[in-house]
Amino acid sequence: MPTLMSTPPLPGLSRERHTSPSAPNAVRRRPNVYRVLSRVLIAVLVVVQVYPLVWLFLSSVRTEQDFASANPFSLPTSFTLDHFARAFDHADLGRYILNSLIVTLGADALIVVCGLMGAYAIQVLGFRFSNAVRAMFLLGIVVPVQIALVPLFIDYAKVGLLDTYPSMMIPLAGFGLPMSLYLFSSFFGYIPRETYEAASLDGAGPYRIFARITLPLSVNTIVTVVMVNSIFIWNDFVFANTFVLSEGLKTIPVGLQNYIGAMGKTDWTATFAGVCVTVTPLLLVFLVLNKAMIYGLESGATKG
Amino acid sequence: MLPSRSKLSVAVFLLPPLLLYGAAVLLPIAQSLFLSFFTWDGISELRFAGLSNYAFMFTEGDFWTAVTNQLGYLVVCLVLQLGGGLVVASLLISLTRGRELVKVLYLLPAVISTVAIALLFQRIYSMDPAGPLNQFLGLVGLDGLERPWLSDVHTVLTAVSAPEGWRFVGLYTVIIYAALLTVPRELEEAARLDGANQWQVFTRIRFPYIRPVWLTTSIMAVTYAMRGFDIPYLLTNGGPGQSSELVTTYMYKTAFLSTDYGYASAMSVFIVVESLVAVGLIVLVLRRKAV
Repeated sequence: MPTLMSTPPLPGLSRERHTSPSAPNAVRRRPNVYRVLSRVLIAVLVVVQVYPLVWLFLSSVRTEQDFASANPFSLPTSFTLDHFARAFDHADLGRYILNSLIVTLGADALIVVCGLMGAYAIQVLGFRFSNAVRAMFLLGIVVPVQIALVPLFIDYAKVGLLDTYPSMMIPLAGFGLPMSLYLFSSFFGYIPRETYEAASLDGAGPYRIFARITLPLSVNTIVTVVMVNSIFIWNDFVFANTFVLSEGLKTIPVGLQNYIGAMGKTDWTATFAGVCVTVTPLLLVFLVLNKAMIYGLESGATKG
Repeated sequence: MLPSRSKLSVAVFLLPPLLLYGAAVLLPIAQSLFLSFFTWDGISELRFAGLSNYAFMFTEGDFWTAVTNQLGYLVVCLVLQLGGGLVVASLLISLTRGRELVKVLYLLPAVISTVAIALLFQRIYSMDPAGPLNQFLGLVGLDGLERPWLSDVHTVLTAVSAPEGWRFVGLYTVIIYAALLTVPRELEEAARLDGANQWQVFTRIRFPYIRPVWLTTSIMAVTYAMRGFDIPYLLTNGGPGQSSELVTTYMYKTAFLSTDYGYASAMSVFIVVESLVAVGLIVLVLRRKAV
């Protein structure tokens, strides 16, 4: 597979130097019209991408009358936090957030541990059929998750895993594993052979080398893998919706469904307040750690 | 290869990932294949059905409606994600300041769960009371276009596909943008000195240079669209009638509402085969051009 970026995955370090010289060239020959037009387009698109979310947050703090009558492009004329109180009444939001956290951490841990170990076996230790095993894992990147729903439902029913935390963690981790294994093994490719050979000469075995060399060097890649997978795991709907039945185990995406219909006529402002509460944690993490996340999303594809 | 490795150590490191992957991905694929040759409602005895599930699938009108809809969904997603991503990434390149901020803003919807997005768009599309989309059309004088987007059979498929496309525009923008940055300046300079205009620089230099990334993003976008499920399922559940039914939602209903596991498995096998064929085609087309 072609590799475009030859720098090791250290978030945010690699590409700043490419950025600045490009712009003057593009602009010099197509002066103002092109420039103004592209600025305007970029701004319009920012509005399209961000406005629905802004509207969501604004709607959750304006009064019912204001929400119903005002046009959606005006600022709220009122401010209230009642909707948040009602949102917490209608559904056990705290419970959902806790469940999502448990599932996300559990699945992330599985992905990181299995991804590191698998990549180490394939990339560093090496064995006769390592390329076949690698290909088998990579195939998982394109396999749609729907294939697993019916069989896992049946299997879980047999072994009593239906309606448990692992019933969500296992498929989420399993389908996240291929991409992580791939990211780890492409990172391991950057660790010089000599490092391992020197350690071997000093008498270190494969376990010690893994713990003392590979693991400490992989911290940045682990962060990237966790970030990228967390978005998908935190937001997973289909597995949670299929395998979880009891209220006490519902994660945020499934719990949010309670707002649809549960109140007869949908209580939109309370619904929006509930949605705001549940999207905020990941949004904050993203805003703080966006460098690492964007790096992970980019490298997942550009290294393909 | 590590000189001091032993067979045992390879096995120790390989076993956990193989177990996880086997239990969550490989075994279910095998089970789906197996079940697709049987008739089963989950309670009574398994009955061998041979190829009858597949025969039924390929002759059933509802199934083909779902396939056609899924293709429509795919087209909307691809246009928004790949087309939109490419255009926006090219625009970003010309931006001198604030690129990082714009990238973050574009990516925001990708962080929001599909359920939240579905709730949001349910309201955005609504007609009574008028949601933002209909109000916006009214404001700019396009009253004629106002409609209940989700219950009009002519618009519902586009309406359930667009949020999925919208959600990931930022993701593809960021990926393609990163690729565009790797295009060597000297190449573009040289082309410009030879008299190439902006468009030619793009089609002859930039695009060919990022073809490998274009390959992966195409594969991502197509396979994601093939498994697209959440937003259509939550917004309309395939309705009204069958007008926004996708193969994935149809399969889900067949499995968990009609509990026809055999037929549902045949459909999920179809989804996998369809994805693999699509990936094969993309690789074939884009690789050949690269030579």
